[in-house]
Amino acid sequence: MPNYRCTIPQGSVNFERRQQIARAFTDIHCGSTGAPRSFVHVSFWETEPGAKTAFATPYYVDGANRAGRPQAVKEQLLSDLTAAFASIAGVHPGQVSGRITENPASWTMEGGFVLPEPGQEGPEWYAAAEAAAAAD
Amino acid sequence: MIIIFNCTVQEGAIPHDLRPRLAAGLARISAQILGGSPDDVSVTFTEIPYGFGFRGGALSTTSTVRGRIPPGCDQPTRVRLMQAILELWQEHTGCGDDELVVSARDRQPDADPLSPPVID
Repeated sequence: MPNYRCTIPQGSVNFERRQQIARAFTDIHCGSTGAPRSFVHVSFWETEPGAKTAFATPYYVDGANRAGRPQAVKEQLLSDLTAAFASIAGVHPGQVSGRITENPASWTMEGGFVLPEPGQEGPEWYAAAEAAAAAD
Repeated sequence: MIIIFNCTVQEGAIPHDLRPRLAAGLARISAQILGGSPDDVSVTFTEIPYGFGFRGGALSTTSTVRGRIPPGCDQPTRVRLMQAILELWQEHTGCGDDELVVSARDRQPDADPLSPPVID
C-alpha cells in the first residue's frame, strides 16, 4: 500500500507511458507522504471498446491508501496524480478522474510487517522495509 | 460466514497449477483461525498482464491477497491470519517477504451499486 489502479481504454497507453506514469505516481506519493518507494503499487486495467464502466471518465485513478492523513493532503495528492496521468498519457485533464479510499494500516501486512499508521513509521520500520525490499 | 479472498498476481509470477493449492490453503487457514467451514471461503485469482503492474516505478513481481472477513475481528487474530497467509504463500511459491501484500479488511455492507468497487 498504496495501491493505485488506473483504468484505461484498451490500447490507449503504451508500455513506456505506463512506466512513466508509475514512476511519476511513485515520486508524487513518496514526496507527499514520505513512504518508501517500494511500497507504491501501480497497475493498469484496460477496458474493452464500448464497455460500460462505473467511472465518470474514460481514464480513472483509483487509489487505496492508509487512513489517517489530512483531507487537504489527500486532495492535493489526487490532484497531482490525475494531472500527471493526463500529461504523460497525453489526454485532456477532463478525461481523467479518480478517488482515494482509505483503510486502517493495521489491516495490511507488507514486507512481512503490519503497516504502521501514517506518521508512526519510525526509523526502525523504514530500515526494515528497505531491507525487505533489498532482499527480493 | 462468508470470507472472500481476491488474489491479484503478476503474469508469470504464480504458475496456474499452484493456484488451486493456494486457494485450498487460504480456505483451510481462514477456517482454522476465524472459524466456520472452508466451504464458506471464496477465492478468486486475477492476473495483471506483463507490463501492466509496477512497484516503486519498476515492473512488479508482487502478489496481493485481499481478504474480506467478518467485521469485529480483533487485531491479534487478524495479524495471525495475515501471517499464516504470508507463510502459505512463501511455502508454495518461494516468494520473499516483500513479494506479497496481504490485507484482511472488515467486510463492508453492500456498496452503492453506482460506485466503483473499493480496492485496498
